[in-house]
Amino acid sequence: MAGTVIGEGLTIEGDISGDEEIVIHGNLRGRLTTTDAVTVGGTAVVGADITGASLSVAGQVTGDVTASERVDIQAGGKLVGDIKAARFTIADGASFKGNVDMEI
Amino acid sequence: MGETSVIGAGTVVSGHIRGQGSLEILGRVEGDVSVTGNVVIGPAGRVRGNVSGAQLSISGQVQGDLRGTLAVLLEAGARVAGDISAPRVGIAPGALARGHVQTDGESASAAARSPAPVARPLSPPLRVAPAPLAPVAPARVEAKPPAPVAPARVEAKPPPPVAPARVEAKPPAQKLEPKAPLPAPTPARADVKAPLPPPKLPPPNRELRKPDPPRVVAAAPPQAEFTPVRPIKPEPRRPPPPVVPVLSKGTKAKKKKSHD
Repeated sequence: MAGTVIGEGLTIEGDISGDEEIVIHGNLRGRLTTTDAVTVGGTAVVGADITGASLSVAGQVTGDVTASERVDIQAGGKLVGDIKAARFTIADGASFKGNVDMEI
Repeated sequence: MGETSVIGAGTVVSGHIRGQGSLEILGRVEGDVSVTGNVVIGPAGRVRGNVSGAQLSISGQVQGDLRGTLAVLLEAGARVAGDISAPRVGIAPGALARGHVQTDGESASAAARSPAPVARPLSPPLRVAPAPLAPVAPARVEAKPPAPVAPARVEAKPPPPVAPARVEAKPPAQKLEPKAPLPAPTPARADVKAPLPPPKLPPPNRELRKPDPPRVVAAAPPQAEFTPVRPIKPEPRRPPPPVVPVLSKGTKAKKKKSHD
């Protein structure tokens, strides 16, 4: 089980920081920082800069992303912002707008 | 909807959390928490901010107000510094709470009614209590005015004449001092030696004047300086002649003074 889960219908306005996996199905406005994986569910709407080990986006994300390992945009996912990650994949059907920097 | 959110033990949220569903806080939250579902704050959970939900089950630390639409339960190990309000409030042994606790709420009308009457009766009795107190005080105040009237007939009136006589007698001395030439001789005699002759002479002549001067003296002391001086002397001497000879008072005073 994920360390932190933001369920659908829940809204957080502020910063989230931690050292464990974070799964977001709700809304987040602010900043997200963790040392573990970040998962943005299909129902999630995130307007925040995200820093983590890895990022998987199935919902909507607006903000810059910094991942030490990888970033994956799933089908149906939408990401607007600059990405810095060693590995980066965009699935068919995903949307993305921003700069990519894979030289870490 | 109805989904349970979790703030992990290693997660810190700096901001407000609001929305639908239940929430389990195992980490730290610096901000207000407001959800429609239940809120569980684990033993390691810490919240600095107000928490509101349906049923709050607290095992960790909270610095802020707790508002539960259904219940607030403080489990063993809970530490809460803030006000608690809910229809049902449970504080288990081992829990620490500091703040105002109120067991009423929107959902529990019955619970709200029970505390309400308690609060209402308290205020009326307080008002009733002051009311009797107030009348008591006025009663005393009123009693005093009437009392003076009654005693005035018995005691008050007698003392006034005596007092005024003495007072008048004293003022004349003072008045006499300024007017040294005329009055000085009479008071000196009254204090030192028996002034039988001087009093006898003045009383008859002054008897007619006596009734007027006391009134004037009481009403206007300043005026007394001129006229009262003469009437004052006759007054002390007047009572003695009718009731008992002036000699008794004068002689006693003289004797005492002489002894002293």
